[in-house]
Amino acid sequence: MTLRLVTLAVLIVAAGASWAFSGFFGKDLLTEIAILAIFAMSLDLLAGYTGMVSLGHAAFFGVGAYGMAAAGSLLGLGGLPAMAVAVAAAMALALIVGVFVVRLKGVFFIMITLAVGQMVHAWVFRSEALGGDDGMGGIIRPDLGTIGLVLDDPADFALFALVLAFLSFLALDLVARSPFGRLLTAIHQSESRARALGCPVERYKLGAYVIAAAFAGLAGALAAQRDYFVSPEFLTWTVSGEVLIVVIVGGMGSLLGPVIGAAVVTLLKHQLSDVTTYWMFFLGLFFVLVVMFADRGLYGALRRLKRRREAAT
Amino acid sequence: MTPSLEARSLVKRFGALTVTDSLSIGFERGARHAVIGPNGAGKTTLFNLLAGALRPDAGQVLLEGEDVTAAGPDARARTGLSRSFQRNNPFPDMTVAENLETALAIAGGVGRVFWRGFGHYRSLAEKAREIAGSVGLNMVGDTIVRQLSYGMQRQLEIGLALAAAPKVLLLDEPTAGMSPEETEAMRHLIAGLPRSITVVLIEHDMDVVFGIADRITVLDQGRVLLTGAPEKVRDSAIVRERYMGSGG
Repeated sequence: MTLRLVTLAVLIVAAGASWAFSGFFGKDLLTEIAILAIFAMSLDLLAGYTGMVSLGHAAFFGVGAYGMAAAGSLLGLGGLPAMAVAVAAAMALALIVGVFVVRLKGVFFIMITLAVGQMVHAWVFRSEALGGDDGMGGIIRPDLGTIGLVLDDPADFALFALVLAFLSFLALDLVARSPFGRLLTAIHQSESRARALGCPVERYKLGAYVIAAAFAGLAGALAAQRDYFVSPEFLTWTVSGEVLIVVIVGGMGSLLGPVIGAAVVTLLKHQLSDVTTYWMFFLGLFFVLVVMFADRGLYGALRRLKRRREAAT
Repeated sequence: MTPSLEARSLVKRFGALTVTDSLSIGFERGARHAVIGPNGAGKTTLFNLLAGALRPDAGQVLLEGEDVTAAGPDARARTGLSRSFQRNNPFPDMTVAENLETALAIAGGVGRVFWRGFGHYRSLAEKAREIAGSVGLNMVGDTIVRQLSYGMQRQLEIGLALAAAPKVLLLDEPTAGMSPEETEAMRHLIAGLPRSITVVLIEHDMDVVFGIADRITVLDQGRVLLTGAPEKVRDSAIVRERYMGSGG
């Protein structure tokens, strides 16, 4: 069996077991991990596969969250249509912004995505319709009574988030393995060659940007439901920075790495903050160690471990 | 007959330096046309102008009679213009087979399919094996390109350019940095390309040039010094004096 399948199986079993045996707090943590995993996987498609390291991914997360809130409380839509609106809003923003930003590379791309993230934050912060810095409530979770789920129950909501994380993985994994995904990897490895072969590079980058935004928007919509509340905090640049750290720690360009990263970072954050008030320091130290000693993050470390095993036998 | 590829009064300046100086040149269909000239004559700039990697300050580029001056390199590639690079420029972390399959996927227009695995397109793998064989890489299909020898990466350059099924093939110093054996193999490979492809070649190795080319253009300071059959160029006093005199 491949490392990928084993890792996937372990993650599913771990998620299932923690869901079955944890209490309220544990299920809330699981929900948080699932949401961060979707968010991180979406960024991985951009940063890991296509080489577009964005520092403004929170914009799409935030627009998803606010889209959820606004669709519910301003348009009076139900939970599932509101989620569709949230995802569509994130994709629409990505399409508009993307036309401009996909032309930029490297540090310029990082700076423009950061700037766009800040613009969206500033706009939401000032917007009266969206509650300004007070944020917005009135969010409804979808009604899944037909399949026996009561999402207002934390256990059912955790399950909902986990299933969506799993489906997001399947979808993004399919994209990554498709000809389209292969071309994204090719663009990452040599943009000039891809172009010389006839690939309209900007259009592919735009496609990746919109797909990534869709899943970031989905994560945002879930985050809004989790808290029943959204605020401009969802859109701050540190949210973009944190998710990028999760992707790097987990291992770029693997999709499963960011899932591991989401779990490890979330758990560490909670465990360390219980033990010490200096938890951010130790979390930072952990990041530094991973980046220094684990090329391609935790998933990369697993891959090397497996290779060494095989070489030994 | 309209040339396969044509440049009309191309001008390219970098700051005060005019690298391409109202240069006109035509490449006939099926030709083996070499472009030679001393370093700094503007050969690679001309290539980049032809391929669309650079935009000219004035003048036109025509591909199969159509004005493609405004078209980017990807659009030109889609209409049948393919190039190799002076410095190896493959997808370094993919295998040889994956490189060629990717090139074929781009050329075949299946790149926008995102709902189905790459493995679905078996014919690409078959075609990739064929091309790998034709450029002498059939034994290393599963090798990561980064781990290939320099010469083999050079061969892959040609393979990638061929995967786009070009009408016109621009080869930028295909034998640069190669050993004599590798150079000979490359000469053989280029000589064996189908005659339906117009081959435009920048090359420093005069044995390769005179072994392959049926037409030679000498560039000097961004202008065409001379165009003609190999014998004519070989016998030209001005070329001997300016270029081939120094051990060429």
